[in-house]
Amino acid sequence: MNVIELKNVEKVYNDSEIKVHAVRGVDLTFEQGEFTAIVGPSGSGKTTLLNMLGGLDKPTSGEIIIGGTKVSELKGSKLIDFRLHNIGFVFQSYNLIPVLSAKENVEFIMEMQGVPSKQRYLRAKELLESVGLGDRLDSRPNKLSGGQQQRVAVARALASKPKFILADEPTANLDTKSTENLLDIMEKLNHDAGMTFIFSTHDQRVVNKAHRVILLEDGVVTSDERQTPHQ
Amino acid sequence: MNLLKIAWRNLWRNKRRTAITASSILFAVFFAIIMRAQQLGSYGHMIKNAIESYSGFIQIQHENYQDDPSLENTFDCPEELISNLEKVQGVKAVVPRVETFAMTSTGTLTKGTLVIGIDPEKEQKLSNPENLLVRYRITPDVIARLKEKNQIPKEIIDKLNGLINNSYTSTGTIAMNLEIDKELNKEYLDIIASASQFPGKYLTKDDIGVLVSDRLSKYLIISIGDTLVLMGQGFHGSTAAGLYPVRGIVKFANPELDNKLIYMTLPVAQSFASLGSNVTTIAINLNDNSDEGMIAMQATLKGMILSKELTVKTWKEFNKILMQQIDSDNQTGKAFLALLYFIIFFGIFGTVLMMIHERYHEFGVVVSIGMKKTKLMFIIVFEMFFIGVIGVLSGMLISLPVLYYYHFNPYRLTGDMAQIIEDMGFEAIMPLAWIDTYILWQGFVVILMVILSCIYPLRKVMKLKESEALRA
Repeated sequence: MNVIELKNVEKVYNDSEIKVHAVRGVDLTFEQGEFTAIVGPSGSGKTTLLNMLGGLDKPTSGEIIIGGTKVSELKGSKLIDFRLHNIGFVFQSYNLIPVLSAKENVEFIMEMQGVPSKQRYLRAKELLESVGLGDRLDSRPNKLSGGQQQRVAVARALASKPKFILADEPTANLDTKSTENLLDIMEKLNHDAGMTFIFSTHDQRVVNKAHRVILLEDGVVTSDERQTPHQ
Repeated sequence: MNLLKIAWRNLWRNKRRTAITASSILFAVFFAIIMRAQQLGSYGHMIKNAIESYSGFIQIQHENYQDDPSLENTFDCPEELISNLEKVQGVKAVVPRVETFAMTSTGTLTKGTLVIGIDPEKEQKLSNPENLLVRYRITPDVIARLKEKNQIPKEIIDKLNGLINNSYTSTGTIAMNLEIDKELNKEYLDIIASASQFPGKYLTKDDIGVLVSDRLSKYLIISIGDTLVLMGQGFHGSTAAGLYPVRGIVKFANPELDNKLIYMTLPVAQSFASLGSNVTTIAINLNDNSDEGMIAMQATLKGMILSKELTVKTWKEFNKILMQQIDSDNQTGKAFLALLYFIIFFGIFGTVLMMIHERYHEFGVVVSIGMKKTKLMFIIVFEMFFIGVIGVLSGMLISLPVLYYYHFNPYRLTGDMAQIIEDMGFEAIMPLAWIDTYILWQGFVVILMVILSCIYPLRKVMKLKESEALRA
């Protein structure tokens, strides 16, 4: 079943005098349970594509349909609501809310969804335990290592029970051990819970784990291949 | 964890910035309160000097007296009218007076004086001249005697040398002028008081003598028991003249009055000016001095007074000069406050802008993951509100002891400034107003500025583009 469809998506930046075609005529579909890496050199349009997939940016032309909803046509609070209930985000710099503990960061999303307090607590605890941070529930981000913060970010992304998770260079700031740990967790979530992951990455270790690798060059998809993940 | 909690925690992320912003608000509120208290205190002081302790909050006059304050515009004041006025609920004191002018002479010295005929008993409820009686006077003889006795420390004697020819109504004012503690130096003050005692007594009901103001007495070089010659014009152009023994010297804080005032009993003044039972004014003090209380009483008294030639005026009507002085000073003060607020507004605004700039990326993140912009705006407003409240409450709190101290121990002005104020006819002190709603107003205005300073940043959040904010 298709979760995401991109139809002839283009993105042109007009900010300067020169028009920049960040994404050109991309047609893609993503299915439930995919573990996909979008790769390509810097400036190839990976982040722009991911931002459009996440409804953070609008395509100049074309359509993005997620679970039957034309995201590219949603605006304002409807778009924010859509993101809240359908998309999980993992950022390169973790981007946890610094004044909230690990548990509160995870609960934050559920609170905005209107989940009752007790359920929030139990789910946050369960999610943090699932990423190996059951003993760091009350730690603030500044008391956690980069790898731990990124695991909290994954737990936060999962908290809203999204249709898929977008991860923009999630391992870029992590050391080898933390990267392996994070990838194992994501792989497990993908395998056990069928969670769809879409990464943009430069990291070969992430590419190796992916089931599908999309190569983007100068805003154009030049290769889209499925592969057996390396163990 | 709700929005308030996040906002509160956000405050302490950058403790130094929060402290600096709250401090700037604290000082703004503190200075605004002190400035306002000083202004309102000075108005209170003016009103106390001129109204409460002399003219009364309400006066009954002949309808032409305000425009032409001469003896021709006096009115008959039977005892019955006074007693009826005294019976009105809310009336604190009813004081009939005769005010006229006379040339006062002794030996070769003459001066124009203001002669006031009073009912000695009734007047005690209003201007209370008995309290103004000079009881002590520091003269070279007094100091010589004190030196001789050798009971007073040298530094106090030295200070006393600077007070030669000063008159005092109490030992408290002597202590204040000597800048010594009244309680700790009671023993010395008693010795000084005993050495500097000045005779003199208050007028009795049938007294034919007069009380003379301190500076006038010094000008005329007179003392108790001396006789003054008063000459002037009485009712209907008659000649007014008389010899009056001095019973006491009175000291006015208001230097203008202290230079020219003579008290005599009402019957003596009526006789001096050939007024019969006429008076120039009936001064009335009230239990409720508020504007509302004053206007309500004015209406009540107007209903009581049957004579069409009489009028009932509030002090704001019969002392328009003072009212205009207060009004104009009030506007100037408000303009200064507005300037202070304006400067502080930009301080707060700068902080909010800096905060928004620093956290723009974070705002992008929280909106990206699903927080509505309105909720984010609430957090920002709450944060600024918290800083505002901390600053305002601290500002109010630190202003209280200052208000308390300077309300009860007003700052005494010196030098040219004192001279200017004394020339205006007021005692040269700067009391602060007591705690009142004006304090809350300063806080309210600052909180309003804090909220206003959020408008532009909130617009920025409203227009936030997630992808741009994430790149910031």
